[in-house]
Amino acid sequence: MPELQLPPAMSALRSELGAMVEGVESHASYGAVLLSAQQGLQIQIDDREERVIESPPSAGTVATAFDGVTLHERAIGGFDRSAVERGARDLVQGLTLADRVSIDPGPDRRGDFSTPISVLSTAEKLDRCRDLQQRLRGRDARIVNARVRYLDATEYAVFRNRSADLAQSVQRLYLIVMVMVAGPDGVRYDVATKHATGDWDALVFSDDELQQLTDNAIALTRAERIEPGEYTIITAPGVTGTICHESFGHGVETDMFLKERARAAHYIDRVVGAPLVSIYDDPSLPDGFGFYFFDDEGLLARPTQIVENGVFRRGITDLYSAMALGLPRSANGRRQDYSRKAYARMSNTFFASGTTPLADLFAQVESGVYLEKWSSGMEDPQGWGIQVTCHFGHEIKHGKVTSRMFAPIGITGYVPDVLQTVSAVGNDFAHDAGSCGKGHKELLSVGSGGPHLLLKARLG
Amino acid sequence: MLNSIIQSLRARTDLKEWSVRHLTTRGAQLYAVPAAVEAKRAVDGERYSINVLQHHSAEDGSITCGSGNATLLPGDDIDRAIDAAALIAGLVHNPVYTFPAPADLPEVPVADASFQANPSATLDELYTCLKQAVARHPQVRMTAAEVAGEEVTTHLLNSRGIDAIQVATQIDIEWVLIGRSGEQEVESFVELTRRRAADIDVAGEVDRRARYTVDLLAATTPPMYEGPIVLREATLAGFINSGDFTQGGPFQMLTSGSAKFSKITTWEIGQSVFRREVTGDPLTMWANRRLPYGTHANRFDEEGLPAQRIELIKNNQLLRFTASQRYADYLSLSPTGAFGDIEVVAGHIPAAELLAEPHIEIVSFSWFNPSPVTGDFASEIRLGYLVDGGRRTPFRGGMLVGNVFDALANVRWSSETGFYGDYLGPTTARFGQLKVAGADASA
Repeated sequence: MPELQLPPAMSALRSELGAMVEGVESHASYGAVLLSAQQGLQIQIDDREERVIESPPSAGTVATAFDGVTLHERAIGGFDRSAVERGARDLVQGLTLADRVSIDPGPDRRGDFSTPISVLSTAEKLDRCRDLQQRLRGRDARIVNARVRYLDATEYAVFRNRSADLAQSVQRLYLIVMVMVAGPDGVRYDVATKHATGDWDALVFSDDELQQLTDNAIALTRAERIEPGEYTIITAPGVTGTICHESFGHGVETDMFLKERARAAHYIDRVVGAPLVSIYDDPSLPDGFGFYFFDDEGLLARPTQIVENGVFRRGITDLYSAMALGLPRSANGRRQDYSRKAYARMSNTFFASGTTPLADLFAQVESGVYLEKWSSGMEDPQGWGIQVTCHFGHEIKHGKVTSRMFAPIGITGYVPDVLQTVSAVGNDFAHDAGSCGKGHKELLSVGSGGPHLLLKARLG
Repeated sequence: MLNSIIQSLRARTDLKEWSVRHLTTRGAQLYAVPAAVEAKRAVDGERYSINVLQHHSAEDGSITCGSGNATLLPGDDIDRAIDAAALIAGLVHNPVYTFPAPADLPEVPVADASFQANPSATLDELYTCLKQAVARHPQVRMTAAEVAGEEVTTHLLNSRGIDAIQVATQIDIEWVLIGRSGEQEVESFVELTRRRAADIDVAGEVDRRARYTVDLLAATTPPMYEGPIVLREATLAGFINSGDFTQGGPFQMLTSGSAKFSKITTWEIGQSVFRREVTGDPLTMWANRRLPYGTHANRFDEEGLPAQRIELIKNNQLLRFTASQRYADYLSLSPTGAFGDIEVVAGHIPAAELLAEPHIEIVSFSWFNPSPVTGDFASEIRLGYLVDGGRRTPFRGGMLVGNVFDALANVRWSSETGFYGDYLGPTTARFGQLKVAGADASA
């Protein structure tokens, strides 16, 4: 594992955190301190202009004190020792211990962790983006613009409570290519992405991939709206992952159990899908865009099996809801940044692979739709409604994809009904990078994916 | 530290232009779960955001422009940050553009004095109001609430002489109402953002949402339907001013100078924004950063361009594009600055008349998020009503399917107007022909 290199101010403050936790716990039943910093770079090149931007960084300290009922937090920008010490003192001033519940700080754990960190300079990254944009532009006369967008983000965290002294750096790289084509009804576009943790090699697009992107964008100028109705569908891994994410991802975040917002709370150890359905959340998934070594509440990353052969087993937790509900914790307590609270959040959520070769999946479809690319989704944990929007899909006839394309396509329905219709699961696996909100806020990097699936769903 | 940054920027001879924004924030947050306050937080932050421009001579003798940026926290090394911004600017080659010059700045009210005086007390008061309002509806329970507020002070200076300060507040409130009948449980989730607490009608919103929650318990499956659709109030505001996490909705996108420059929009000044014949009321729309207490209103934007009220679309025709200084320079337009909030001209028909004939009213979507480039949408319905005379039959599920611009080409606007944070305009719209993809469809 690469050696961890924290920002100097963060590193300097780290040695003071043990004393701060002791100070907080002299007034509270539980104390913790999190140092959190995020920095990154964005590059955008298209036919008309180029941009290199330092992403707005975030850096701050969260001091936490639990009084037996409420988590009190003081979030202080930066890592200035005196400001943080003052904040920690202010936090516990006047705190009254209710002593109703105690928080288990967990087993002793210490460690420094780091993903690979890209060694490329900004100039080298810019050159690679320019080269890619050159390969993309001019592939067809109908292209009005071709865009390459690169983002990297490095997150640093130090967590300290009375049992844990942990530090990590996690770097995520994300490359987006987009082709825009003029059609009779305006501009249509297609997008393709690749992601990695620290290693540019995973971001390389082949010529075939770039040509497919161009062909899709051109085909989208002729795409139709689909006739609403129930269809036999095959979902590509990105669509499969989005269905997972919106159904048994958000739907099993246990802060939603506590808020009585999750129907899944009533379905533990009950059937929620076909026997072929197994769903996991795993922050330790190598190369997953939601990878991390420990969460923002100091729990070491490990996989959680959410659905096992169609039976819902357990949710993913943050510290407070696990404590309040008496659930075993999972490493899913995550914050957007130091200025926001921790919630139960997904990391890499995916549908487990099956055994059916892709060709056999298609061979089973006499008439249906291949949903190739997702664009967005929204959760409904209480109603178990599902909204996943696909950028486009293709008609399937007699087991073959035809030239007929539909766009956009909405998938809707009742989550268990949709998952009960899964009749075959591909033996492949791929995962996408994404940005996930809690409702419309609290954005985090996540991964989602799985294999191709054969199922039925209502489209519109 | 701000003075030191400015002195350092002024001393640099390699920078054509520079700007620096000093941002200080302070906020409070309250999170409630059943029978407890889960968390209380106080949040402070301070940073300095630097932008620089450099000019370069290209191989063909032309001048190109490079931009770079850096952010400093208190105590950070100023020269190192400016060097980093200059390094980035040195790598980038674009057509030349400038930073804005000083201009008169309007006074736009965007701060809540009561919140500024005592942030946590303001939030406690809102939460208390919320609990009291919900207590008046024994058919529902509130199982979660979040109230958060933030004050942001921005001090902007640039090399052209802008030196301006603005203070803005934002208050976010959300809550969950649960209704139960036997084994069946349903929820209404409410989230509102306003500049000031006084613009949040907690009691009225709780009344409305409690009614919806009870109706959800009796909701039927969605019909297959093609015909008139009514959207009202905040749901209508969301339809007009929709957007995803990172960009605005179709109007923000397709009227922007950046989209025009990059050829994402094919809209042209003087031409209709609709691809089909307009059979309803004409559309007239402003992009308004001067809307008092509008959630995107301000005195000046990130570049320092003063707040304006821009008539974008008049009687269906595009009048102008919005543009930052950069795209104004590129496209030879007047700079308008950031988009701001949306204002739509009212119609001539009372809402009651628009509601008289049979229709479907949708009061809640999972997420109305049309493609910002095409305007196409397929959005799941959380709660809708089949309305026929005095009879309102609730349903849930299914999707509203269509295109924002095609829908607006056949709409009747109410004469009554309302303000919903980022939208000022008709309270009610009756769309002539839209499609609900219901549960009884098969293909």
